This record gives sequence, structure tokens and C-alpha cells, in this order.
Amino acid sequence: MRIVVGMKWVPGTTSVRIDPKTGTLIREGVPSIVNPHDMPAVELSLQLKDKYKGEVIAISMAPPPALKGLEYLIGMGVDRGILVSDRAFAGADTLATSYVIAKTIEKINREIGKVDLVVFGQETIDSSTAHIGAQTASWLNWPYIYYVHDAKFVDSKFVVERVLEDAVEEWEVELPAIIATHMKALKPRPVRLINKIRYKVEKPIMTWTNAELKLDPRCIGLKGSPTIVSKTVNVPEVPRKKIVYTPKSGEDAAKWIIETLMKDDKASKVLMKYLSMEGEVQ
Amino acid sequence: MSSNCNICPEWDCQKLEDFKNVWVVGEVDENGITEASLQMLTPASKIASKLNTKIIGVLVGYNVKKFANQFIEYGADEVIVLDDEGLSMYSPHVYARAIAELAKDQKPAVIFISATMKGRELGPYVANTLRAGITADCTEFDVDEKTKDVLMIRPPFGAILLAYIKTPTRRPQVGTARPNVFKLPPRDPNRKGKIVEVKVKEIEKPKTRLISKKMLPISEVPIEKAELLVSGGKGLGAIEGFNMLKDLAKTLNAPVAGTRKAVDMGWIPHEKQVGQTGKSVKPILYIGVGLSGAAQHTFGIREAEVVLAINNDPNAPIFNQSDYGVVADFREVLPALMKELSELKNKLKAKGS
Repeated sequence: MRIVVGMKWVPGTTSVRIDPKTGTLIREGVPSIVNPHDMPAVELSLQLKDKYKGEVIAISMAPPPALKGLEYLIGMGVDRGILVSDRAFAGADTLATSYVIAKTIEKINREIGKVDLVVFGQETIDSSTAHIGAQTASWLNWPYIYYVHDAKFVDSKFVVERVLEDAVEEWEVELPAIIATHMKALKPRPVRLINKIRYKVEKPIMTWTNAELKLDPRCIGLKGSPTIVSKTVNVPEVPRKKIVYTPKSGEDAAKWIIETLMKDDKASKVLMKYLSMEGEVQ
Repeated sequence: MSSNCNICPEWDCQKLEDFKNVWVVGEVDENGITEASLQMLTPASKIASKLNTKIIGVLVGYNVKKFANQFIEYGADEVIVLDDEGLSMYSPHVYARAIAELAKDQKPAVIFISATMKGRELGPYVANTLRAGITADCTEFDVDEKTKDVLMIRPPFGAILLAYIKTPTRRPQVGTARPNVFKLPPRDPNRKGKIVEVKVKEIEKPKTRLISKKMLPISEVPIEKAELLVSGGKGLGAIEGFNMLKDLAKTLNAPVAGTRKAVDMGWIPHEKQVGQTGKSVKPILYIGVGLSGAAQHTFGIREAEVVLAINNDPNAPIFNQSDYGVVADFREVLPALMKELSELKNKLKAKGS
């Protein structure tokens, strides 16, 4: 089967700092990484390939530095990478981004071979929208299942298992389809030397710009994005009492905690209520 | 056509003034409309009043009409029901296309969807099918006084910034919010409202089929429902430390939650994670032990009424996010605290009997 897996190249820390003067993010000096939530998606794709043969193609819509990320995934065992990169794509919201990704998948379908499955991660650590999987599926009119942690063929039918808040579900999915993995789905395999050597020798990475994709400029970048960020502000602080105590001992701490909580109207009530409960709620 | 129409040919042309009303999409389970969906009536009411328009509940499924009145009781002015045998089983793409079809027909200005796990699957599919903008996991909504665009307010980038996002040229404006970000509006069993049954041209054939569903054990109170919650982070060091926290929770009869680190360490399952990639909780008392107070975590306890933190690092940011802080090693504090609590418990019992 031919599997396409999505990758986003994101700032390596979620503790991004803000420039106090401009109120914008300081991205300089923050090294980028493969979005950690994409790793289970890559792992699931590779496991499917291990079991059922075929190839895994990683795609990323990003500026050229994201090649490093594709190189990493090839190190893990992904067969090839496609960097989708053009200044014309810049400033895209999730609708315009998913449009470019959907068109990339169509081009892979036409020129490389039929795509059976597209796998995305749960969300990205820098924007956490979890939109791209569903939106790409909508552009392609493919089915979509989210929070997947396992996938296999049962009697030649593709079956995925996914987790919700209160249940584990098994779904039969008609291919081609798009799935997105749960962030705790699978532990990613390490990079292997043999794959790194293959990368050096074969350079199995292509870059597609809009010269190749030929997308209408009104559908991409800022023009193709219905949403705009009108402003950003610091998250307002929740007002807290901020009473801090440094105790002399554990016993001292315990006494202070109980006294303090008992003096607090709300805390004392709930504490009494829970302590008077019969049995265990855990 | 207007200049509005020099747009991506994949989009349909729109006249913004044709779009009215605020929709809330109802997720339904055996008991009716989920609390998470009904909570979305709270921001819907704010936005509808600022836009001087109606709140419409939208129910899509099979045999769901009987739940329509719940929407009215919690504040919707009207309910649109698409009740069709072809929707007897939830399939994300089929439901999304049906909701999108309804929206094309009825032209709501705003669509709110609760960002439950199913909502996060469905919402972007609906919005994209409409070629509309969507903003995920909002924490507040407002209206731009001048343009009357809805402002979707959300915290990207590790929960330190709030972005105000708007959709000036497209409708509907789709927004989602996580469960418990908004309070459930009060129920009024005497409220009346119109319930309208509608049809769409075609219900698509599902390409996905649910073949089995195993409920997860619910012997435990979900952390988002607890009034007293005990929570731990990396500072607990090892599973032994986390077990000590569990003992404290047992003494208190309270459920245990944790940070992303606690989940990563395997001390606690993901559904008990508090924070931006976990859940938002709203206990009356939140006791955080050995957690530093990263913005992504404290984002999930904004609705906690009282926060008590125990951490041995006086510079831990959690002390700025707490009402009461104790700078001490949890290994010394917890056993003493459990002893005090047990004595208190016995006193209460003696009094009670």
C-alpha cells in the first residue's frame, strides 16, 4: 500500500518567548524539530509498510529548512520525502494549507501512484488546531477517522482502532482514507544508520513549488485563507492569592495547609465534603 | 458579481448580509444532547445578543428529534432537526457533509461546535466543506463592534498568547471550544421554542463503519467533574512519588490527575492529563504536587477556584498561579498531611455518628 504521512517542522519548544516590545513571537534561536505528535503517525505508517509492503512518502509544506525533518523521517525508514515549498504558500491558514496538501496528494496519486492512506499526527505543538487531517479529507472527499492508535487489515478490510473520552472503537474504513493518530498511539522507532546512508546516497527528496502544483493564487497563501489574526495579547493572569509558606518541617507544612484551607470558605467546604464521603471514588 | 467574487474558484460566492443566526451543533448520546454541546449555548447567547440574532440548535442523526427540547430548555430559540435513517450511525464525513449541506441552505452567520474528541474530528470537516474559516479550541468569543465579525479568541503557542482571529470575508464563522471552558447555562423547563424538521438532498453513503465499541471502565470520577482534584508532575520523580500522591488522593476520596510529563512517564493515563493537550478542569480545590506550573498546564486550571501547590523549588512558576503555596519536599509534606487529614476524617466521623 502507498501511504502518505504529513509532517510539520515546528519550533522545538512550546515555551516560546514573546518580544515585549512588539508582542510577537521570538522564533530566532529556537531550533526546529519534527512536530512530536507526528511521530506516532510516522511509526504507524512504517508498521503498516512492514506488514503489508508498499511505500511511505512523507510530505511537508514548509520553507526549505524543513528538509532536515524529512531527512530525519527517512532515517526512520520512510521511503521518500516531498517538500512542498513556495513563497506563494506563505501566510496560509489551515484551510489554505490543507488545500495545498490535498493537491499534493492528488499529484502523488497521478504521478507516483495510487495513494491508499494518508496519516497525520494528532495536532501540532505550535498551533494545536487538529484541523489539517479533517480539512484535507474534506477537499478530497475521503473518509476521516481521528485519534487512531492501531490499524490493520482484517479479511482484506482496513480496520482502525481509535480512542475517545469514554470508549475504544473499531472502525472499518474504505480506502483511500485519511486518519490522524492519537498522541500516545505508538512509540517512534529510532533513526537507523543504514537509512541515513541511503539518504546520503539516494537523496530521495523532491521539492514541489507552485510551478509544479500550478494552484490558483487566489486559493493559496493569505488570499486562500478566510481567517486572519487580528491581534495577539498576553494570556491574562488568573487572579490568585499567591500566599507562599516555607515550613520548618513536614508536620509544620501539614498543619499550615490544614489551617489555611480551613480558613478559606470554598476550600474548607469542599474539603469537609470529600473527607466525609463514604468509600472511595477512585 | 461583486468584487467579493474574485475569489478562489473552489469557493462559492457569498453575500455576507444573507447570513444570520448562531448555530450550536448538538452531539448526541443515549441520554440526549451532551453537556459539552449544551455548554456552547453560553457563548452562543453572548454572540447572538451582540449580533441581534437568534440561537439555533442543530440536531443531526436518527431518532434524535425527541431531544430537541433540551436545546430550547437550555437557551436555544429554535431547533433544526435533520432526522434521517441514513444517519443512524455516526460517520464523520457523512455527518459533516449533512451539516454542511444544511448550512449552505440555511446560511448561519456563526457555527459553534464543542471540541470533544468527536467534535474535533467533525468541526474542521464541516467548515472545510463550506470553504469557511474555523478556529479551534477557543476560550472566549466576542464581536468586533465596527465590522460585526465574530472574534474567536484562542491560545496558540504554549498558552502564553491569546490570538484574536476573525473571518472578515466568509461565512459562516466556525468556532470550537473544549468542554468545560464555558459553563452550562441554567435550565428552564418552561422555555418554549420552535422545532423545525428539515431534509437535505442526499445523505452520503458512509465509507466508514463502526464495528465495535468498548466502553472504558467508569468506576472513577472523570477529572473534569471532580470538585476536589489532586494532581502531580515531574517533580514527583518516580512512580513511588506518584503513588504517594495517590495515597493522598485516597485519603481525600479525590481523583488523581497529572501533567503532560506525568503522562509521558507513564504514571497516569492520558485521559487524566490536565492542560492544553489534555483537559480543562474546574475543581473547587486543586492540589498540585511536584508540578512546576508550565503555562500549558496551568491553562487547564484557569477555572479552578482555589489552587494549593506543593513544590520544593521556590522559583517554580506555579507559586504565581496558586492561592496557597508550600515550598517543601513532598516526601516530607505528604505523609504528615495524610496523618493530619486522617485525624480530621476520624473527628468528622465521630461527630457524624
